[in-house]
Amino acid sequence: MKNRIRVLRAEREMTQEQLAELAGVTRNTIISMEKNKYSPSLKLGYRIAHVFGVGIDDVFTYEEAIDGPSGEDDS
Amino acid sequence: MKRITYLFCTILTVSVVAAMIGWSMAAGNFLVPLLAIPLGVIVVLACRQNVKEKLEDERTCRIRSEAALRTLEVLVIAGAIATVILYSYVVSSPLSPSITGTVTSNADGTNSMTINLYKPGTPSLPENLIRSTTIRDINAMNESEAGEYCTFVRESYRENENRGLVGMTIGSTLVILIVTFGAFYLYYNRKY
Repeated sequence: MKNRIRVLRAEREMTQEQLAELAGVTRNTIISMEKNKYSPSLKLGYRIAHVFGVGIDDVFTYEEAIDGPSGEDDS
Repeated sequence: MKRITYLFCTILTVSVVAAMIGWSMAAGNFLVPLLAIPLGVIVVLACRQNVKEKLEDERTCRIRSEAALRTLEVLVIAGAIATVILYSYVVSSPLSPSITGTVTSNADGTNSMTINLYKPGTPSLPENLIRSTTIRDINAMNESEAGEYCTFVRESYRENENRGLVGMTIGSTLVILIVTFGAFYLYYNRKY
């Protein structure tokens, strides 16, 4: 799962700390997501999209090759 | 309150409570833990409520559950191996010391018996001898000789029995861990 959190955050001149507070998570979670090391739950995904005021598709991109059944399991 | 301050307060509170429990147990005052433990919990919870930073989220929960599961897996495998190895000292003949008894007819008409303890898995040769005891007249064994004989036999197997006991303790702990895990697994399986 790829995401545009870093880009959207930069566009809004928002720090990781601010985004973490608005999304109700720790700053480490934001860092992990920006590095594509952690895929958030659907709930958190929607919450982040809501913080940026965009749709979830504008933040997260599902890629069949990475996230599909044959892709590497991130759990 | 910052996260680091909260962690410092928690460590300090736990240390004080542990010291109070230790002191009260040594002094025979069993009322102190009943007061100290709830007080400690209240202090930690009060500190936690004052932390402004987010202490946990879905990622930390996931990390915790993954770490707990891996810990359980490693402990169960390592513990099962340790249990089998340690308990084999009780049931395995090659791992047990060998005891031999030799009856000798003496010139005065009495029969004495020499009992030798040899190292586990070695032939009964003098270089493998751990210790030995002699009963001067086996037909007229007195109380102290009987006691000495019993102690000799008991002490010979004590080390192996202790290892077996440790193995049994580890095995029992593993069973409790697995049963507890199973109970929580069933609970959460019903919940979600």
